[in-house]
Order: sequence, then structure tokens, then C-alpha cells
Amino acid sequence: MTAPKTHHTKTYVLLFLLVLLGSVGNTILSKGMKDAGDLDISHFASLAAGAARVLTSGTIWAGIAMMLAFMVCHMLVLSWADYSFVMPFSAIAYALVPLLAYLFLHEQVSTARWIGIVLIVLGVVLINRTPHRTTPQGTPD
Amino acid sequence: MRTASILIFVVLTGTGGEICLTHAMKLLGEVHDFHPRAIVSFVLRALRVGWLWIGVLLMTASFFSFLAMLSWFPVSFVIPATSLAYVAGAIGAKIFLGEQLNGTRWAGILLICFGVGMAWADNLPASLHYPSMITVIRRVILALAAGPLFYYLVGIYSAWRFFRVAHRQAGRLQPAKEETPAISVFKPICGLDPGAYENFASFCRQDYPEFEMLFAVNDLQDPAVPVVQKLMADFPGRSIRLIVVAERLGANTKVSNLCRLVREARHDLLVITDSDVQVEPGYLQSVAAMFRDPGVGGVTALYRGRDNLQFVAAMDCVGSSAAFCGAALVARELEGLKFMMGSTMATMKQRLAEIGGFEAMVDLHSDDYELGRRIAARGYRIELLPEPVWMAFPSQTLGAYLRHELRWAIGIRNIRPGGHFGMLFTHGLPWAIAAAWFAPSAAIAAGYLGGYFVLRFAMAWAVGVWGLHDPVLRRRVWLLPLRDLLSFFVWLASFGMNRIEWRGSSFTLEKGRMIPVVPRAGRT
Repeated sequence: MTAPKTHHTKTYVLLFLLVLLGSVGNTILSKGMKDAGDLDISHFASLAAGAARVLTSGTIWAGIAMMLAFMVCHMLVLSWADYSFVMPFSAIAYALVPLLAYLFLHEQVSTARWIGIVLIVLGVVLINRTPHRTTPQGTPD
Repeated sequence: MRTASILIFVVLTGTGGEICLTHAMKLLGEVHDFHPRAIVSFVLRALRVGWLWIGVLLMTASFFSFLAMLSWFPVSFVIPATSLAYVAGAIGAKIFLGEQLNGTRWAGILLICFGVGMAWADNLPASLHYPSMITVIRRVILALAAGPLFYYLVGIYSAWRFFRVAHRQAGRLQPAKEETPAISVFKPICGLDPGAYENFASFCRQDYPEFEMLFAVNDLQDPAVPVVQKLMADFPGRSIRLIVVAERLGANTKVSNLCRLVREARHDLLVITDSDVQVEPGYLQSVAAMFRDPGVGGVTALYRGRDNLQFVAAMDCVGSSAAFCGAALVARELEGLKFMMGSTMATMKQRLAEIGGFEAMVDLHSDDYELGRRIAARGYRIELLPEPVWMAFPSQTLGAYLRHELRWAIGIRNIRPGGHFGMLFTHGLPWAIAAAWFAPSAAIAAGYLGGYFVLRFAMAWAVGVWGLHDPVLRRRVWLLPLRDLLSFFVWLASFGMNRIEWRGSSFTLEKGRMIPVVPRAGRT
């Protein structure tokens, strides 16, 4: 194992990617599906046209690619970090989404939601104060 | 009640799946190298870990039920409710993964749980709704469920392409007199199949100028020995030898015995068949005729069942003729055969030498598959005999049948993980049921179910009845949906297992190699 510093750096880099790819990928995928329109399955021709729209949509493929990258990051970070560390940490997405909606889309944010956001951030801060890995190393490196 | 059960289902499958995934990743060990090539090889290694697949299946189940939940309840209920998963995950990580959670981490998790609840219990900002998610899922499932139906069509086409020619050739493939190379027929045996004498005798009755038969057993006490002795007495004109193989070169005793038989064989053309195979008198002529083409490196055969209508035996037969032979025909049509089947493995000594002989395969589980793959990799073609051989499917219990199928599925997953996963799209029944469940109207649901039944039986008929003339399949074809359902569960189960029972010993599989769990010195 390298110095703990690098160990931590790669955890944060991957967690950042995880949150980013997860939320952006999800949004892009649902936008792509919405853009492709409702699938009309009453006629074979319109069904084929709908399927073609889905399959040729760059947005959908970008979304799928992001979800795959998300999965790979998830696998990588779990190869060393605790599940009980990664899982609550990635909950920060639930704080970021309403926050970004407030900042960029000027959505109203209620008091309850503000409190929730603060609680999530506090929780993540606490999680961050615990060791990234508490299980013994499986394979000697 | 429904609310609680779906919530519990979402939380448990999601958490369980992620715990399996974490376990799989911890088994692989920490990643240090983030070069793209290293990441690709890490992902490929991960795909061989059974826990990963269980994890992915559970997470998929959780994802779909989560979306279903979103279609029934508002997001402002679903997300706070499913944030219970943080607590479930923490408990699971402690119990199953042995992670140590101190007070700080527990406090953090609880804060996050409440935070998500508070932040999302309100109605969502309008821009963030998932209104059409369930529609999206419905479309994806309906589109994917068409996959098996398409596969059945390809199966019918492949069967037509093969049997159109094969039926013309059957029984008429005769090599010219000067092209009948002498043949060594191998019979590696272990124990006695029902009808063994008739099976063996069918080889003695071959209409072929020169061939010898070599039987291999590991033990003179083997119940097959008296049968072979009777054969020698009944066919004095035939060259029949019984070889007792004492040495054991690897975990696969059959391959170990084959190594010895190759050394004993007097002739260059080798024909190896499982002990439960029975053939027509023109069989060796057909095999020899196939080898007239120097590009042919191996010959294998499809098979059909012989008059055992016992429930499980018939189901085994229906699965073999309609499903397995069908899959082999599709593979032949799409990419050429790159494997052989135990029903017939015929090759030349020279081809065998080029791939390092059977000695290179003594630990491999799926020897028939590997032999074909290795010969094909040398640039030779593997051909199918125009006529199938007969196979005696034994009467057995359902449990024995399922264990056998599971062993076979684990073997395939081990050597071709990608292809094995792709078999997802050959399982028409579960897809038809899923499509019917999600279909927006009763007509579409009926269309998918009807499509499955019509195309499935059409393919079984084309392959098994029209093509193979399988008498058992013709009379028991209605067992097919039941067999398909069982086979789907066997396929699912094969992802979670890596240990097989074979001839009384336990092995784990690693890249097709059998590693003994409890090493035993020889058979008793």
C-alpha cells in the first residue's frame, strides 16, 4: 500500500466521479428517453421507428456510457474502501441535487429541505472522519 | 401491506446486491493501477466472480422495483422511505462484511438518513420528476423480450439450412473404396448405462472395412467389463481391446483415459463416443467421408433420444434435442462450430498432436467443448454428421437431472462467461412472462405469450422432429415449457456456484480447470 495520503486521494476522486456520473447519467438518460417520445406499439412500423429513435439517440448512449462508467467507479472504490463508508458518502448527491436546482434552476427550497440538506452534509462530514477501510487486506500487495 | 412489502423488497435486494458486489471486489483486492488497460483487465477479472453476478442480479431487481414504486407513489414518499437502505446497508456491512462501525460512522449514517427524509419529503422541484420512468422500463422490457423470439426464428432458419442438405446426405455419405482409412473407435467408460451391450454392439456392426474398438476402464471390477467380454465373444471377427488404465494424469479421468487410448491406437483416424451412444451401421462411413475434405479437423454429431418416456428422462431428451441441438445449429450457422459434443468427437492423430494432445486437457471439465475449440483455433473446421446418433437418456430423479444440468451450466459459465450470460436471450418463457406483466394492454401480453409458444414449439419441431427425427421429442414436446422454466432457474443458480460434483468427487472450477476440493487417490 502506498502512503495513506494517496490512498485517501483516490477514494475522494472516485467518490466525486461516482456522484457526478450517477446524477448526470441518470438525468441524461431520462432526458434522452423523454426526447425519444412515447413508443407507439400499435403498428410494427411505428414500433420500429420508435426503437430506431431510441437506438440512434446520442443522448441515450451518452447516458448509458455514463452509467457504465459509474458502475466501474463503484467497483473500483469498493475494491478497497468500506461499503459502510462509500454508501452513505454517496448520499451527498441527495443534497447536491436540490442545491443545484436552487442555484441554477431557481427552484424554491423550503425550510424543511434546507434542514435536510444541512443534515446530509453534517452526516457526510462525520462519515469522513472515520477510516476508509476497517477490514483486513485480502491480498498482499 | 403492498407498500411495506415492496419497500422491504427494494431495500433488501438493493442492500444485498451491493453487499455481494462489495464482497466480490474485496476478493479481487485493492486496485492500485488506474491505467485504462489495468481497469479493463480488473473489470474482466471481476466478471468471473460469481458474487458479482448475484450482486448485479439483485441490484437490477431492486432498481426495477424502485421504478415500479415510483410509478405508484410520489417521489416525496419513495426517496425518504428507501433511505432506510442506509441503515440496512450499515447493519449488513457489519454482519456480512465484517466492517467495524464506530459511533461516529453510525451518527453520520443516521444524520444522512434523516437528512434525505427531510430534504425529499417535500414535493420535488418540477424539473426533477421521473414521470415517464415506468414507461421507459416497460419499453425496455418489451424490446428485450423480443430477443428470444428472434432467437427462435434464427433457430428455425439454422435448422432448415442444415437439415435441408443433411437429409439428402443421410445414409448416402460413402467414401470411395480407396478412401476408407482404418479407424480406432474409443469408448472411455465408467460404470454401466442401461442398454450398454446394444450401444456397444452397434459399433461392432459397422459396415466399414477396417476398424478397431478400444474400451478403457479404470478398474477391472467395473460393471462394464463383463459386457465388453461378452462383446468380444459375440464378435470374434472384430478387433476389440479392453484396456485397464491405472495411471491418472489429472482431475478429469475420462481425458486421462483418452491419453492412454491415443497411445494404444493403431490407426490415425480416432472416433470417440460417450458410452451411452448408439449408432446406425453407416456411421463410420459418414465420419470417414467427412474427413475427405482436408480442411475438416474434427467431426461431431447431434443426438436424439431413444425410447425412454420416463418423465425426467423425456424432459432431459426434450431439452437436449430442442434446446441444446438447436443452440448448436445456431452457433454453426452464425460463426461455424467451434466445439464438439460428447456424442461424437472424431479427429486425426496429427490434429491432436498439433494442439498438444489430450495431455494438455487432463484437468479440464468440458473436454468435448475444449477439443473442438482448440482444433478450430488451429484453423480447421468442425463439421456435423448429417445423421444424429442415438442417445439413451437414463431414467432418473428430478434432483439428479437438475444437478447434472447445473454442473453443465457452471462448466459453460466458467469457460465462456460472456456467452453464458448471453443465454439470457435464449430463455423465452421468463421474458414472455415479464413482457406480459408489463404490457400496456391484454392484447400485447397475449401476443408475447402466444409468440413464445408458437415460435418455441416451431423451433423444437424444426430441430427435433423434422430435423433429428427424435421419437421422444415428438411424443413429449409439451414438456418444453416446463423444461424451459427449470432451465432458466438452473441458469440463474449457475451464477452463484463454482463447485461441482463429478463421479463422486468435489471440484471447484477455475477457467474450465477442475481443482479437487477433497483430493482422492483413485476411485474405489
